[in-house]
Amino acid sequence: MRAQSGDEAAYRSALALAAARLRGYFLRRMRTQPDDVEDLVQETLLTIHLQRATYDPALPLTAWLHAIARHKFIDFLRRHGRSTALHDSIDDVNETLLSLVEDDLTARRDIGKLLDRLPAEQRQAILDTKIEGLSVAEAAARSGASESAVKVRVHRGLQRLAAWVRSET
Amino acid sequence: MKTQELIELLARRAGPVASRAVQRRLAGAALAGLVAATVVVIAGLGVNLQIGAMGGPLIQKLAYVGALVLAAGWLTDRASRPGAPLGAAVAVVMGIVLTMACVAFVTLLNAPAGQAGSLLLGSSWSTCPWRIALLSAPALALLLWAIRTLAPPNGQVAGFAAGLLAGAVGALAYSLYCTETSPAFVLVWYSSGALISAFAGAAFGSRLLTW
Repeated sequence: MRAQSGDEAAYRSALALAAARLRGYFLRRMRTQPDDVEDLVQETLLTIHLQRATYDPALPLTAWLHAIARHKFIDFLRRHGRSTALHDSIDDVNETLLSLVEDDLTARRDIGKLLDRLPAEQRQAILDTKIEGLSVAEAAARSGASESAVKVRVHRGLQRLAAWVRSET
Repeated sequence: MKTQELIELLARRAGPVASRAVQRRLAGAALAGLVAATVVVIAGLGVNLQIGAMGGPLIQKLAYVGALVLAAGWLTDRASRPGAPLGAAVAVVMGIVLTMACVAFVTLLNAPAGQAGSLLLGSSWSTCPWRIALLSAPALALLLWAIRTLAPPNGQVAGFAAGLLAGAVGALAYSLYCTETSPAFVLVWYSSGALISAFAGAAFGSRLLTW
């Protein structure tokens, strides 16, 4: 960072370069929370700015940058709890969806809208097994399809719902 | 806010970085701590009036403590910067202690039989390390405060280094009062005092040195 001597333009481009590097660094480590990456990049840039005196020109700049980024990243994990990083699998989305259906009227209406977009047999299979609480055998008897067919319909239907929910949020 | 806007904001009138800003902040804190410890020695313990007549041993003692101040200062500087390697500074600190250990060992070997014990323990071994640790307290507090404005990647390590520096500063002030002349005494008890301060620094550092 020759920018330390007070050359404003050099400092600006150095910060932009650092921002690009930081974005890559955080993106690699937080695939599941892309929304937080930019916040963290800005926070780290601010630290870099405030702590620019602690950079020793005799040492490699990347080591300094990475040490700060690592510190900020650990700080971030501590603040948000590691668990949030795990909350993105399809199973989890399905479960929150289902519990919302039971608890919350407005959520039930939204889910109803999404369910209406499903093919009829998938919708029926989900309604029977997940919302009315029938067993797979009972649902199969009611719809006249085989048990495995009901299972497949439920699975595909939920997958599709999960994809819609995720694309909307 | 867009990242680009933030960059613009930060770059505008950023100005040059003060040269050697880290060193200056640390040196200022250590120096103020030294002054405080010296005042306490003069007012509380009293200066050893024979100090001028001690000659060689005094120079030896001051050389050891002084070198420790510089090396610990360098270590503290490293520990206050992100991404700076500590290895070289740690090696220098160890080297100084090891050199002093050699000197102490030689004097113990050359000592007349039966005197080794008194060379090692002197007359004040039970109070010396504690007094040094207490004398280093102001320097430690000031140093931790200074490091809080910097960016230590590991609070515990930075606290330990600051404690070591403060301990050496305290020992420097204490040598105004101390009447011991044996290098073995200085090695064991002065260093113990500095270590007490260093561990205190590590304990405080892990809690206080966050950024």
